[in-house]
Amino acid sequence: MARDHLIRVSDLSVTYCADEGMPIRAVDGISLEISPQEIVGILGESGCGKSTLAGALLRLLPPGAKSEGGILFRGLELMNLPEAELRALRGREIALIPQDPALSLNPVITAGVLIGEVLRAHLPLSAAERRQRVKELLCEVGFDRPEEIYSAYPHQLSGGQRQRIAIAQAMACRPGLLVADEPTGKLDATLQSEIIELLSKIRQQHGTAILIISHDPAILAGFSDRIAVMYAGRIVEVGSSAEIFGRPLHPYTQALMRIASSMITSAGVISRFPAIAGESPDPGCIAEGCRFEPRCSERMDVCSQRYPQTFLPEPSRLVNCFKYGE
Amino acid sequence: MGSNLATNLPANLSNSPGGAFRGDLSGVNLLRVIGLSKQYVRGGLWKKRVQVAAVTSAHFEIARGQTLALVGVSGSGKSTVARCVARIESPDAGQILVQGTDIARLSSRELLPFRSGIQMVFQDAVMSMNPCFSALEAIEEPLRIQRKAIGNRQERRDRVGRMIIEVGLSPDWMDRPISNFSGGQRQRLALARALALRPRLLVLDEALTGLDVSTQAQIANLLLDLQAAHQLTYLLISHDLALVARMANVIGVMAGGRIVETGPAEQIVSNPMHAATKQLLASAKTTAAKFAAITGAPS
Repeated sequence: MARDHLIRVSDLSVTYCADEGMPIRAVDGISLEISPQEIVGILGESGCGKSTLAGALLRLLPPGAKSEGGILFRGLELMNLPEAELRALRGREIALIPQDPALSLNPVITAGVLIGEVLRAHLPLSAAERRQRVKELLCEVGFDRPEEIYSAYPHQLSGGQRQRIAIAQAMACRPGLLVADEPTGKLDATLQSEIIELLSKIRQQHGTAILIISHDPAILAGFSDRIAVMYAGRIVEVGSSAEIFGRPLHPYTQALMRIASSMITSAGVISRFPAIAGESPDPGCIAEGCRFEPRCSERMDVCSQRYPQTFLPEPSRLVNCFKYGE
Repeated sequence: MGSNLATNLPANLSNSPGGAFRGDLSGVNLLRVIGLSKQYVRGGLWKKRVQVAAVTSAHFEIARGQTLALVGVSGSGKSTVARCVARIESPDAGQILVQGTDIARLSSRELLPFRSGIQMVFQDAVMSMNPCFSALEAIEEPLRIQRKAIGNRQERRDRVGRMIIEVGLSPDWMDRPISNFSGGQRQRLALARALALRPRLLVLDEALTGLDVSTQAQIANLLLDLQAAHQLTYLLISHDLALVARMANVIGVMAGGRIVETGPAEQIVSNPMHAATKQLLASAKTTAAKFAAITGAPS
């Protein structure tokens, strides 16, 4: 079975040990598989641990973060891989598209050189070959005039252009897996859909698997094949995109879909948007029961007593909610 | 100057300067902006200085208790308009009439009494408040500047406590530092701070952008509730037409520093005239259609 998956995360937990106070478990026992060429969306609100998950997959967590569990990538166990081998893997086999390219691109290096750096780190190309390759990559991410962009500094580019540069960097070595952490978070609506289209095209042309992280269901609609919904450090529901959008099972997913749908319908003045009352729990003090229970409109007695195990109400669907079994 | 304004209105409503929409004709206009222009200088030092027109001859009016949304892509000039109306930027030309008084050219000293009437909320609540302040200090700061932080310590705490409750937070958190609040909670604090002076006009510059959808819905509801409770007038700046269309009475669409189309929200959405509006609407509709297709809901 494991051979079918490109990456297989099993029971992954990440704990941040702050100097003072309780250690914080940002990611708590997550299991997830991604097949080659598959696009998997992680849907969840800020603070639910989705960016920590992205960092953990690349083994790029700040010092003080302790991760446990297994990450099997193409038969390699990343958790006990030495740093040198991880460095050879990052950018070449698994690449990250960061949330804010304004922060991740070195401001004193031109776009062409920034992309070339990735090639130089991993592939034995001559300077001329590299230059040629960078220009091809620039065309590939949708620049009409690669020459101009090649010698532009990040500050001379717009937000959308910078995100394309970050995508070109990530795609430079044709990795098997792209991890995109809120790749459209800082862009306006029109640019958002352009970037999503570009990522779709990349998967089609190169068969790259993509793990995309977003808080906005509308971004994932029509783009991801499968979706895992995260809440307070745990995955609460997994299903195909059509299932998650068409028939969400977990009360949290259901509420999220109602909100998203009310926000993208432009017609009709509204006096209230549907909303979920309250806030997600403080990761420092997590109660024993279901983490969504205090905000859930369908809570039962059992919900506050213990965490719901994973139920399989239908083949290939996982949900952690007592509505679907005891 | 009206040549660039595509109006979207029946003839009887389009008689204001530059063809701008008058808002609610029966109500009193709280804010009236006439011919607002602002240029920035780019370059300098080694590069040639170039004048860049951020906003050119913008006209609009907002009636008391109503919401006008200015929408447009990044760089269309909407934030510059917001900053000029809140007078944290001085316009180069034009008038900003607040209940009949032009504040466009007042000095910072002369502006002081008007400041309590107009407050601004920014996109990034983290950056817009001093992280070392407690919630109490952040909310009380504008009161102190306006010399309205009167009463003894307990009375002042009670006043801030009421504001904190009003934005849906617990008064027990009053002494917590700002940095301990989540993104959504900080935006609530920013609203409490803006409301401390009991303003009539709130300028909301992408105040819902960058928040999670669930937090966005909560803050949007809070804005709607506060508006109803205090008869607040909103100037709402956003790049997300679909979201603001449901909260605004009037929408102004900006492109290239100009307001290219103004009209009642329903009309802008159902019958867009200008290419910029059509483009914004098209991208909103594509998202909605994708969403509807996959959820099986009617679009």
